[in-house]
Amino acid sequence: MATTQSPSPNSNDDKPQAVSELVQQANQVLQDVRPEATKQSVPASVFVNSEPIREDQVSNAVKFLSHPKVRGSPVIYRRSFLEKKGLTKEEIDEAFQRVPDPSPSSQPASLNQDGQANSLSSIQTQVPIQTSQPLAAAPTGIVSSGTVARRQFQWYHAVSAVGLLAASGCGTALLIKKVIIPKLKLWVRKVVLEEENDYAKKIDAKPSLAEEAATAAKAAAAAASDVAKASQEMLNSKNEERRRFEEFMNLMDAQVQEMKSMSNSIRKLEGQANSSGRAFSDHDDHRASASSTKQSYANGNVDVNVQPGRSSTLPASAEPPHPKSFMEIMEMIQRGEKPSNIREVNDMPPNPNQQLSNPRITPRTKPWEAQNGPRQVLQSQTSAEGLNQNGVDSGLNYLVDDESSTPWWQWKNLRITEIENEDEVKADGSYGVKTNEQPSVQRTWVPPPPPPVAMPEAAEAIRRPKSAPKETAMQEQLADDQSAARPSEVTDELQRITKMSESAGAVEMNGGFLTGNSTVIQEQENSYEGN
Amino acid sequence: MPVFKTPFNGYSVRFSPFYESRLAVATAQNFGILGNGRVHVIDLAPTGPVINELIAFDTADGVYDVAWSESHDSVLVAAVADGSIKVYDTALPPQSNPVRSLKEHAREVHGLDYNPTRRDSFLSASWDDSVKLWTLDRPASLRTFREHAYCVYSVAWNPKHADVFASASGDCTVRIWDVREPGSTMIIPGHEHEILSCDWNKYDECLIATASVDKSIKIWDVRNYRVPVSVLNGHGYAVRKIKFSPHRRNLLVSCSYDMTVCLWDFMVEDALVGRYDHHTEFAVGVDLSVLVDGLMASTGWDELVYVWQQGMDPRAS
Repeated sequence: MATTQSPSPNSNDDKPQAVSELVQQANQVLQDVRPEATKQSVPASVFVNSEPIREDQVSNAVKFLSHPKVRGSPVIYRRSFLEKKGLTKEEIDEAFQRVPDPSPSSQPASLNQDGQANSLSSIQTQVPIQTSQPLAAAPTGIVSSGTVARRQFQWYHAVSAVGLLAASGCGTALLIKKVIIPKLKLWVRKVVLEEENDYAKKIDAKPSLAEEAATAAKAAAAAASDVAKASQEMLNSKNEERRRFEEFMNLMDAQVQEMKSMSNSIRKLEGQANSSGRAFSDHDDHRASASSTKQSYANGNVDVNVQPGRSSTLPASAEPPHPKSFMEIMEMIQRGEKPSNIREVNDMPPNPNQQLSNPRITPRTKPWEAQNGPRQVLQSQTSAEGLNQNGVDSGLNYLVDDESSTPWWQWKNLRITEIENEDEVKADGSYGVKTNEQPSVQRTWVPPPPPPVAMPEAAEAIRRPKSAPKETAMQEQLADDQSAARPSEVTDELQRITKMSESAGAVEMNGGFLTGNSTVIQEQENSYEGN
Repeated sequence: MPVFKTPFNGYSVRFSPFYESRLAVATAQNFGILGNGRVHVIDLAPTGPVINELIAFDTADGVYDVAWSESHDSVLVAAVADGSIKVYDTALPPQSNPVRSLKEHAREVHGLDYNPTRRDSFLSASWDDSVKLWTLDRPASLRTFREHAYCVYSVAWNPKHADVFASASGDCTVRIWDVREPGSTMIIPGHEHEILSCDWNKYDECLIATASVDKSIKIWDVRNYRVPVSVLNGHGYAVRKIKFSPHRRNLLVSCSYDMTVCLWDFMVEDALVGRYDHHTEFAVGVDLSVLVDGLMASTGWDELVYVWQQGMDPRAS
């Protein structure tokens, strides 16, 4: 099941030879086991996908992977996308196999340029081979070429646009130079001519050719000066725009920050309880970074693919109200300042080969591990509080007896969770009072669920022949439908069992019976206690 | 109920599996953005609601998580934001600590979990998208599990199967792994947003809970992982950490950026059975004691560590 992604484990493996052989043997055993394993027969295979490969999912994945835009993206993101859609590993691998990938592990940059040409041809050659409908292939071919062309167009479009801008800038500069100088000259001449004309007009009523030419020239000069002014203004405005744009961006960021802090403080004032208006939440793992400072405040930036650097990743949502000083520190970092309270700490081990001290206490068994021989454990602890329970009943007697001698952290909770209380009150009148616990005794032992029974219905049937048909039917139904909880049925079932247990003997519930709740455990304890 | 004030912002709290009254706290300066870190080992005083600090270890960078060794009662490991894992031994004199510095991750180490059944190995989850397997007696990692497409926030060993573990990642999936296998054995695309925490049910080894930025906690059965067994809604913001109770089959505790710690019974229709709002900043760390039923602890960015019995008010004195 090796993928193109994961490195071979042996490369990182420092284990000695014997252990690696063991691993290989284990792998072999598992591989033999897995094809035959049913869902519950072999425990290890429960954690493995046992679903068959779904052809529809694979074909969808193939279509997805064949898309040229997808081909340009890193493989890890393609896999991640498919995983999020719910495909299993096998299905993803199958889809990758079916889509001929020219360079599965190459860099996206190289794939961008070369892969586009290749993808076009490969798509067209793929068309007759693929099992997907031939009708869809032609439009996809056209669409893909269109998108490819558009992509190229966009790329070069940007380059040419920049070139055009530069050229126009130079052109206008030249134009202005060429126009300004004559314009100046004309303007001077115009002024001079005006003065002359004033004199000449008084002297010569008839406008001469030269004057006509002069007026024409004036008009032309005015027009040219207007054009020059306009083009100069354009240049200036472009520069100004660029400057303003940057200023604007900075202002926007500052404003966004202000707005955020304001809204945060408002939210805080409104209290944590009021969460109805906010439909979003967010997760910020904020780390400072000089480079990616703007990312952390990119409100509404949905791009999950963006690497966080050391700053946050924000799915498209509003943020939870951060503490004010948190914002201050983030701003400081963004400005490039280091918070003043950081010290130089040398946390390297003084002796890397230092031996660990010998353990003084043997590890205790975990409460859920007491699976082997529950009865023995019980007998050894009958006097003690071995039966850990919802300190309901015990709590009441408990505190009265020995407040002083037990550490405060062992005082049981007085307040009862409603559900457990009701069930317990119903269930156990005979529930024993717990004595105080010595710190050394394993007071935390919980009667474990009995070992899983292969045929719970049969076990139940054997034990309760009277109500067997109904019980077993319910049991089967509940045992089969393990993915959904049905509280009403369960409580009915459990009430029945409750009554049974009080009167009869042991009730052994299936350990793997998912719908059991704490009341079930109560029943077990009752039965054990009774025994 | 006692309170412990840390100089830095709290990130994680863990009960010791050997001593009922001992906890370890991971803290980071400046909310973990940039600054030093400190690991506190604290003891609950038996006489009254007081918490005493046994020892504290300073680190160059923030500490995001801490885990107690299951084999050595005095050893703990700390996940540091500079990508290293520090090993401390409280039985040795302070100047001998740290005992080890395991530096392999390329980015921050965000989660640690010690194997509770085999007790010899632990896992580290890092923002460099990988999970590493370590033992205390080796200077280098045994395995690296690299499949996630984004930061791995949390790892959890299966309480029954010593070779199986789960990892929760920002690529919105939870992966089930077997250390004997080269790659992940199951992928659960659990949420539409980042998954910050995962934990196995201690009494049913096929049930796993995931907590996400989408404010919900989902319980999954790995045998039928297309549909969650249960969805727990109630938090107002992202759920940061969850933990199944070591004593009750259906109980789990969660802490969230809405500053509350919640108790859930996922088999019940109205699953929320308790809510504690003692923190005044993000609640980021929570733990239930394995040794004492009902004892829980939480920490948050308000630099406080609370330890209290379930059902009591954490702020009561």
